[in-house]
Parts: sequence; structure tokens; C-alpha cells
Amino acid sequence: MLFAGLVWFSAEAQETILMSVLNSRKHRLNVSDNPVVGVFASTDAGNSWEQRGWKEYIRTFYTEADECGVLWSACGNGVLRSTDQGTRWVITTGWEVTEVLKVAVDPSKSSTVYAATAYGIFKTTDDGRTWREKKIGLALPFTSDVVVDRSNRNRVFAATEVGVLLSADGGDSWKTAGLNGLGVRAVVQDPSNSARLWAGTQDDGIFGTTDGGTTWKRMNDGLQHKTVYTIAVHPNNSSLVYLGTHGGGVYRTENGGRKWERRSDGLGNPDVHSLLVLKTNPNTVFAGTLNGGLFRSADGGNTWQFNSQDEGQVWGLSSK
Amino acid sequence: MKTTFTILLVLCSAFAVHAQVDSLFEARRARLIDVVSREQEKSPYVIASKIHKAFEIDRALVLLDSLTYDKGIGGMFYSYSLIGTYLFTKDAIPDSLRKKVRLAYQNRMMYRGDTENHWVMYYTGLYLAAQTWPGETGETWFNGKSSKENLREAGGWLNEWFRISSTIGQGEFDSPTYFITFVTPMIALYEFAADPVMKVKAQLMLDLLFADFAAEHLEGNYGGAHSRDYPEDIINPLGAPSTMWAWLYFGEPKFEQWEETRFRPRNRGGWEAVFGALSSYRLPAIIRNIATDRSESYVHTETKRVRNIIRFGKEKNPPAFKYTYMTKDYVLGSLHGGILQPIQQHTWDVTIPTGKPYNTIFTLHPYYSGSELGMFFPEELKFLSEEVDRYHKVYTNPGKWNSSSPYEQTFQHRNTLLVLYKLEKGVMQPHIDGFFPKNLDERVVDSKGWVFCRTDDTYVGLYFVKPGEWTEETVNWRWRSRALNNGIIVEVGSESEDGSFQTFRTKVLSARIDLKDFDRKNAIHYTNRHGIEMQFSFNGPRVVNRREINLKDYQFFDGPFIQSKWGSGVITIRYKNHSRVLDFTRATIQESH
Repeated sequence: MLFAGLVWFSAEAQETILMSVLNSRKHRLNVSDNPVVGVFASTDAGNSWEQRGWKEYIRTFYTEADECGVLWSACGNGVLRSTDQGTRWVITTGWEVTEVLKVAVDPSKSSTVYAATAYGIFKTTDDGRTWREKKIGLALPFTSDVVVDRSNRNRVFAATEVGVLLSADGGDSWKTAGLNGLGVRAVVQDPSNSARLWAGTQDDGIFGTTDGGTTWKRMNDGLQHKTVYTIAVHPNNSSLVYLGTHGGGVYRTENGGRKWERRSDGLGNPDVHSLLVLKTNPNTVFAGTLNGGLFRSADGGNTWQFNSQDEGQVWGLSSK
Repeated sequence: MKTTFTILLVLCSAFAVHAQVDSLFEARRARLIDVVSREQEKSPYVIASKIHKAFEIDRALVLLDSLTYDKGIGGMFYSYSLIGTYLFTKDAIPDSLRKKVRLAYQNRMMYRGDTENHWVMYYTGLYLAAQTWPGETGETWFNGKSSKENLREAGGWLNEWFRISSTIGQGEFDSPTYFITFVTPMIALYEFAADPVMKVKAQLMLDLLFADFAAEHLEGNYGGAHSRDYPEDIINPLGAPSTMWAWLYFGEPKFEQWEETRFRPRNRGGWEAVFGALSSYRLPAIIRNIATDRSESYVHTETKRVRNIIRFGKEKNPPAFKYTYMTKDYVLGSLHGGILQPIQQHTWDVTIPTGKPYNTIFTLHPYYSGSELGMFFPEELKFLSEEVDRYHKVYTNPGKWNSSSPYEQTFQHRNTLLVLYKLEKGVMQPHIDGFFPKNLDERVVDSKGWVFCRTDDTYVGLYFVKPGEWTEETVNWRWRSRALNNGIIVEVGSESEDGSFQTFRTKVLSARIDLKDFDRKNAIHYTNRHGIEMQFSFNGPRVVNRREINLKDYQFFDGPFIQSKWGSGVITIRYKNHSRVLDFTRATIQESH
């Protein structure tokens, strides 16, 4: 099983995109051969998509693959895991873990996974066989995002309804790391500079840190829409960052957040909930919308074209 | 942990009376199975009835076959109803079809859902399926877990639900619409759980669900306030799914719901009560008695809980306080107000068993907001309202008949109710609506500001602090006030309490209304027709005859028929000199008289 995953993700060094479609206006309970919800994968930069695994609606918020190609999916039903590219899935969690909004695989130890849920943060260190709640220091449980620091696997960031929290001990305890009292929707670590992180908020725009989360700076110049659901950073250029907003579509900065410009030409839906910049071709950017499906840009966000999932809620995007 | 089960039964001297009641029940259950067996839709209950009656078995097997691959039923509804039907009928179905049923639990990823009723259905189904096919590996189950793991997980959740429901209450409490989604799975669990302790717990839960209903039941109506309800069931209470269960177990209403177009459930295929009719569960006589004996009027209070709050609150399940005044002629009931449930809350009403449809009067603020939904659902605040509208159709409708609102609070003392509205400027839907059925015998708008309604021998008087407009709709008059701050005084009476309608009106008109602090503090000081003095202000104290009522003093259940200390897990049901103690902490039932 594991070997199959390795082949899928590594043999041809191609980038596999995983798209999690939470729901769709086209979704009805009746499941056809062309399901409109669930996990979809593309290995050709979004030219074609294949549904992976179950075809029923179980509220799929986000899916990502670990280094070995094992898939982890954050769902209403819990955390699901597949070792065969999504043919079969196992719900790894019990009834205690529900409304899972995000999963984060420890990049240096793939058997360790964090789950951000509406009821708090959970962690497994044994490939999902057991999960433990990590709530010490968590003032309020609702957590919408979790990120493991690439440079230090014990440092974990969490986006909560009362700010960014940081754990220095692998989730055993949490402390406020900034944006105290603000509803934080997303936290992202710059792929080429681990000291640099971004935090998108419910109503207060975008914040950045260049010192690993010690200090945060509000960076809203040019940002007309302050609900930031998602953030994507160019894989090799820290200055180039994209934001997905509610009502304003995509914003882009080319100067590390000093100035944002709206880049939504062609976006059929202004509510962007997921973004992805391809590592293998950073000019190609994907934007997943709420009820408008998936859009793709071939020119770094200057223009967008509808790609797939007409009227779908593309809640999460990732790639490996 | 060793759990003991004890039932102490002392035979009743009125054995003959009970035997007659039991024979009537047996007749009703046979009648229901017979009627449903003649239906043709692809329903688990139709299938079970046909096979039980050995009527059109071939047709039933065809329906069951198609049910095994029907993905048009939500996962949690499918989870329990398929295994329930299978277990009720398995002796009559061929091996090939049994295998198809088994495969349904392998090939279909079942959604667990996001509400209390969803989880009850999902985990009951999973528990019974895992028990039915033990010793199988994860590869043969939709969720990748073995039979043993599924049984343990489902049992674990069910036990936790029993504990919460018997100590701090259900979150989706007293719902005429959703009652079936709790009682039907519990019937299946009671009938088929192999573990004797689990079977007893299912029996305890069934007794609790029915007793909870019985204390607020009046001639088939689920009276009082409801955590959540569909608008159709709110305005036409006897059309609610709970009515068929009242008919089956309480013997009321006296008519068959499916025969009466005006009271027929929205979903003609809503035959869940068939599981009750097929089951060996028998409602204890004491519960049937408290459901039907209205010889004395009484006050019944409860403390339930708010549904799980995931955002914008430090407390996961704050208390929901409920007050019901029950008479033989009407039920007046209320929740204390605020957001206790998203989308479908029914905060107060008076229900009158007239034999006519639309036998209720109530008011509400038709509130909606993404923040309200965000308290209970994890999706994005700014799009949740639209999303909920897809499923519940009316959430953002300004004329809807179900809603919670942070701008609504109530205070009830027996048959008098004060309702306060304090809407913020800029709120969505800045109006208050009232539902008045058109088939009232009389509706008199009095020059002193009261509206008097009569239906049969029951009377309702409502005083609106700020006036509203009346518009005629299909089945009702709608009263609408656009005043942001408003208050309503409700007095309910009857011929047996007050004499004639004119006498009732005269008494009410002589009541003292003091509104001098209304504009400044949203305060009402009211002395009702019985001379009871009530003081109430928005977010202020509730005072009766100068004594402040502390809602936190409410017990889990408190009334002549049911008593339970909040948090205890022990519920005592009483009727005359007869009692039945449901002890969830020890999984025992003790009955005596």
C-alpha cells in the first residue's frame, strides 16, 4: 500500500494537486457516477481531475498528502487516511474527533499529524491509530488551521477565534503568539523563509511576521476586503503572496505585503476559500471558491479561467 | 463495570382497566402495520410491515433489494433504518439479499452528520450492524474499522449520549419534528441490542423520551416550547411526526393521522412508528397516564441544554429553561429566550386542542445571522445563511414561523406570559410577527389594546405594548409590529377557569398594566386577572409578587409527574401513588406503588 503511494507521488516527479470539495449547489443526496463532492486529484496541472475514494457527502474540508503519498483528509466524519491513493479510506478517529477543518502532517515525521477542529486540536504520532486532544493553554477550542514549523517540528502554530497560538512542545501546551482576540482563519509559513509567516483574519485583514511569530504586523495597504480565508506564497519568491478573500476574490502583493492589488479578472465568484501556487510552475495558480468552483490562472493571477467543479465549494487545495 | 438491572413490579389492582388499555394498544399497532403494509413506496417501514404481515412479500423484497443500493437517503437515516428493517425481517429474506444488506455497510461511506439526532441515528445503526456481523475486519466496513472497533465506538458514543441526556438534557429537546429521529433508533436498539445493559439503557431512554413528551402532551399535541421544529409543524401541531407516536402509545388523538388530510404529516412516507408497532417495547402505564390525565392543571418546568456551541461562547452547553402550564383545555409554554438553537427554535406558544388545524397562537422575531449559525456550525460566517437556506428554505425569509432571536425574552407564571422584544437598530428583519389562525371562533381587537381570541371554550388575550398591522394570509392572520422595542402580555383561560368569554375579557381588561418604565428600561409591571403581580425587563430580573425567580433554581424536571435533580441522572415519574424511577447511573428501573 505504502509503495503504491510512493510511486504515485514520486516516480515521475510530477506535482499532484488535491482538491477538497465540501459541497455544491449541484449536490443532491443521490450519487451519480460523476460525484460533485469529495476529494479530487489532478496530476496534469488541473487539465483533468479524478475523484478519489468515496462518492458520498461527508463534508470534506481539506486533504493533503505526506512525503510517502499517504492521504489525510479533514472531514465532518473525522480524520480519514488512505494509503492507496484514495481507493480505500479509513476513518482514523473516533466519536471524540469531529468537524475537522484542517490537517497538517509533520514534514519531518509523517506519522505525526495534527488536526484542527471546531472542538480543539488533536494529534496522532502513530499514523492515526490513536489521537490525543491537545488543549492545555487553548482558551477557546475553535481552531481553523494548524501549521508545523518546518525548521523546528516542536513549534506548531494554530489559527483560533482568539488569535494565533504557538506551541513550543509539539502541541502539549499552547500560548498566544499574536493577534490576541482576533478571529484568525489561516496561518501559512513561507516555503522559502521559515521565519516568515502570514495570518489571515475573519474581519481584520492580513498580518505578517518575519521573526517566527514573535511580532506581527498588520499589512492591509490596498486590501479592501478584510476577511482573509486563505494565503498562498510563491515557492521561491517570498515577496509574491496571494490572498483569498470574502467578496473581493484574489489579492496579490509583489513586495512582501507592503501593497496589495486585487487580481480577480475572470474569477466567477468573489469568495475565495482556497489557493494554490504550483511548485513546479509557479505561474500557475488555483483559486477555489465558495459555490463557484475552481479557477486557474496561467499568468500568476493576472487573469483567471474557470477550471472545474461548477457551483462547487472548493474548500481546500494542496499539492505534493 | 458490572451493572445490575432491577425491575420491581407490584401488580396493580386495576388490572382489568390496564388489560383493556393494552388491548386498545394492540389494536392500534396491528392497525398501523396493516395500513402501512398496503403502501407501496420504498420505505424501510413499508418493507418491514409487508414482511411482518406476510403481505406482498415479493414486492417487499424487491423494495428491500433496491434499498440496499439507494443513496438517496442521508447516511445517518440509512444507517439505522436499514439495519432495523433487516433485523425485524431477516428470517423472511433470502441469503442473497442478506448479503446485499451487509454490503451496504461496506460500500457506502455513511455521513455521520452534525446534529444530535444525526449522531443518534448513525451510531445506533453502526452499533446494531457491528453487532449483527461480528468478527469482521476493517476491509469489510465503510469506515475501515473492524466490527469490534465499530461496536466499541458506537457503544461509547451512545453511552455518552445517555449520560448527557439524563443529566443535563438533550440539546434537541421536545421537538415534535425531530422526536422520531430519537425514538425510532431507540426502539431498534431496545429490540435488538444483545448486550443486556445496552438494552436496558435503550429502555431507559425510551421511557425518558416518552415521559418528557407525556408531561407536555395534550390530545396528540406536543405542547409548549420546542428546541427546533419545522414551520409547518409549528403552525399545525397535529401534523407533526410526533402525533403518530402519541396516537400509538398514548391513544390520543382519537383519529388516525394519515386519514385526516388536515393533520397528515408532510411526508406521507413518515411511517417510523411502525418500528414501535413491531417492537416488544411497551409503554409503561404510568407514562400513558401522565400523558392523558388532565383532571388537574399543573406547572411543569425543565432545564435542558443549548446545542453544542463551538464559537463565540465559553460554555459549550448553557442551560435552556423551560416553563409549561398544562390544563385540559390548553397548553401555554415558553423557553426563557435568546439563541438556544439555531434556525428552528420555537420559543413560546399556546396550543389549544380544538379538533381544527392551526390550533396555536405565538409570536416571534424572525432573526437570522451568520454569527448565530457560526455558534453551531464550523463553516464560514459570511456564507452560512445562504447555505442553510438551501436545506431549510426559510432561514432568511422575513415571514418565517420558526426562529431563535437574541432580542426575545419571556417570563411565564402559570397562564400568564410576558414577552419582550428589544431589537437593535440595523438588525436584519426588524419586525415581530404573530400567528393567529383564521379558524378561531372569535378574534376581537379591543379598543384598549387587547386582542381577544376564542376557540371553542378556550380564550386567549394578548396585549401589544406597541401596535402592529394585521394582514390576512392563507390559513392565518399575521400581526406584524415594526417597533424595535415591544412587549406582549398573554393571558390564557377557559370556560372552566373563567366562565364565559365575556367574563374572561372583563377580568383581563381589569388587570393592571404599568408601562411607565417600558421606553426607558423595556420594563413591564403587570398585575394579571388573578391579582398576581409580575415584573419583567429585558435582561432584568423576573419577579412574581415581589419575589425574584431565579431560573437557575429550575431542576432537570420539576412538576407533579416528573422530578429530577439537575445533573443527577435519576428521573422519578409519579402518578397518584405509583412511581417509576429511571436510574441512568446504575441502569436500573424501579417501579412501585
